Amino acid sequence: MTTETKDCFTIDGKLALPYQYFAGSTGSRFIISLREEKKITGLKCNKCNKVFVPPRSTCEVCFEDISDNWVELPNTGTVTGFTIVRYEEPHQPLKPPYITALVKLDGADTPFAHIVKGIPFSKMKTGLRVEAVFAKKTTATIMDIDHFRPVTQRPGFELGYTYDQLEEGMSASFTKTISETDVYLFAGISGDFNPMHLNEEFAKATPLGTRIAHGALPQSLIAPVLGMKLPGLGTIALEVTTRFKAPTYFGDTITATGEIVEKLPERRWVRMALTFTNQHNKLVAEGSALVMPPVPMDKE
Amino acid sequence: MKKNRNVGVIGVGQSVFSSHREEVNQPEMIHEAVLEALDQAGMTMDDIDCVLHGNMELFEMVHQPDLWHTLGTGAFGKETLRVTTGGTTGATLVCAADALVASGLHDVVMAIGFEKLQEGHTTGGITNMADPLWTRKLQTGALTGMTATQLMDEFGEERAKRASMLYRITMDKHAMNNNKAHRRLGLEFDQAEDLAINSPPLVGELRMIHMCSQSDGTCVMIFASEKKARQHCKQPAWIKDHITVHREENFAIFGDAPVTTTHRYAAEKLFERNNIMDPRKEIDMMEMYDPSSWWGLDWLREFLLLEGDEHLEMVENGEIALDGAFPVNPSGGVIASNPIGATAMVRVAEAAMQIMGTAGDHQVPKQVNTALASGFGGTMWTVLTLLTRDLPGL
Repeated sequence: MTTETKDCFTIDGKLALPYQYFAGSTGSRFIISLREEKKITGLKCNKCNKVFVPPRSTCEVCFEDISDNWVELPNTGTVTGFTIVRYEEPHQPLKPPYITALVKLDGADTPFAHIVKGIPFSKMKTGLRVEAVFAKKTTATIMDIDHFRPVTQRPGFELGYTYDQLEEGMSASFTKTISETDVYLFAGISGDFNPMHLNEEFAKATPLGTRIAHGALPQSLIAPVLGMKLPGLGTIALEVTTRFKAPTYFGDTITATGEIVEKLPERRWVRMALTFTNQHNKLVAEGSALVMPPVPMDKE
Repeated sequence: MKKNRNVGVIGVGQSVFSSHREEVNQPEMIHEAVLEALDQAGMTMDDIDCVLHGNMELFEMVHQPDLWHTLGTGAFGKETLRVTTGGTTGATLVCAADALVASGLHDVVMAIGFEKLQEGHTTGGITNMADPLWTRKLQTGALTGMTATQLMDEFGEERAKRASMLYRITMDKHAMNNNKAHRRLGLEFDQAEDLAINSPPLVGELRMIHMCSQSDGTCVMIFASEKKARQHCKQPAWIKDHITVHREENFAIFGDAPVTTTHRYAAEKLFERNNIMDPRKEIDMMEMYDPSSWWGLDWLREFLLLEGDEHLEMVENGEIALDGAFPVNPSGGVIASNPIGATAMVRVAEAAMQIMGTAGDHQVPKQVNTALASGFGGTMWTVLTLLTRDLPGL
């Protein structure tokens, strides 16, 4: 027998197999809740009490129709398994490396696959507590949840992360409700007594229809993130740029989040992506920052 | 066929067949028919020993559909098996279920054939069948107009076209009585001439109106041993015999070869071993896998071993109508509904329903003692199933 391959043809072919998948009424309702209300829902089997997320219209073990037993779930859950994707394929949702994890939401009995960001790979673990971060724009798919991020952040009041401790993907946030008092104090601090911030009758005549906070007020909430959380105490901010996307009204609760997106080894600085969202998960502003992380201090 | 013990059909379930079932996903559409079959058999999933599953390979671009359809099939914790033999899948599922019960391995088997043709790209899937070296780049997919040309050559253009359209309209009249059917157009016989001219041509004289649909749908059948069947069903449809024939010495199914079609060969063998001398008299009705009205017309001759123009006459004199002497496809047939992985099973299921007396508005008026069902697929594959009202002798 010979394995000589001279003069043996190979056919190079390519088959395109386009397809659709009908989500059905049940699957569609899950997506609509995500898209319209940023709520994650599941279906509960009243016989075995299992809560399925994503939903299924039949409990396959009890063989019960459960398609009307909708329950709302919190945005928080626990990682039940994960892998770090390091190879690149055209179908992937992100450029590797990234973390794919199974997340079991609090109150659900089934985990589902999603992406976890905001934690260094070396610290990723099963059992990690995470929360959903919703996408800025809807695609009416499971990707209306953009990713999950760790729930608990590292507490402050100690020297922050040094350049070597920082990894791309780490993130932190600070949340505060903007009150009328905040706006008046900020007017005093900045000297900006523009009536659209201070005069309700004037503001009624503007397109926004009511008083809004100074743009720089929610923007300033990134300062406690950079200076006290990530990188943390000892950080020097070199540059902060912001694009305002939506107004902040009195009483809005703003979350400022910073994520390490690039390490600049030459100067040992890091670049961070900034997002500012309100209590409706609406994007109020976004931007970037360049910071010098704390330099390790000698022991006393 | 030598059998260890008798097997009866005791329950049939069908989803609604439609071009788009967007309100249900695949497991949900299957679930619909599973519930109906269980209800008809007076059973719950606890009574089912084994679940068979089948559809066309690659048509929905879903890997191992039998496993993830468990959400709708009820197969959790059961023995399962997947069958995928192309167009004959549904009929082969019946053969497999019959073998599993007859052998004594299982007492009650549920078989599920499904397809959601709107979700996939059927020609893309079918293209995989052809030999990559010799024919894949030459093939045309599932449409062929050769039979039309042959029939027109043999019987004259006018008569052949007219008979083909009569067949088509008869099928639509049947489908109008079947509320599960996909295409129910309400055609009348006086539209025949207009349709023969104005329906868009596909290949030669094969026109859109002649061709089967692309449907979404599921068929489920429950098979039981004689003892179980008698416990659960007043009148089971007994599986007397089935035969599978295929030949693929060449992929092509146009031209004059093969000379003896697998349909005729299968019918000859099946009738011979069941002592059927005159099929038109000894069999009461047939559910035929008729992908187009040209094929339906032509294949009558093959399945019933007819001579000359007898098959045309059967159509012309209304013999194949629901209330005719030899009803063909009271369900409306494949031209009305074609969820491929289910299609061949629907033939057996509908034949069984005629024996069981559960066909409702499309029940034929006479008592059906013996029924024949055909499956078609592959390049030339035939599966014939013979069902009886009386318990077959072993």
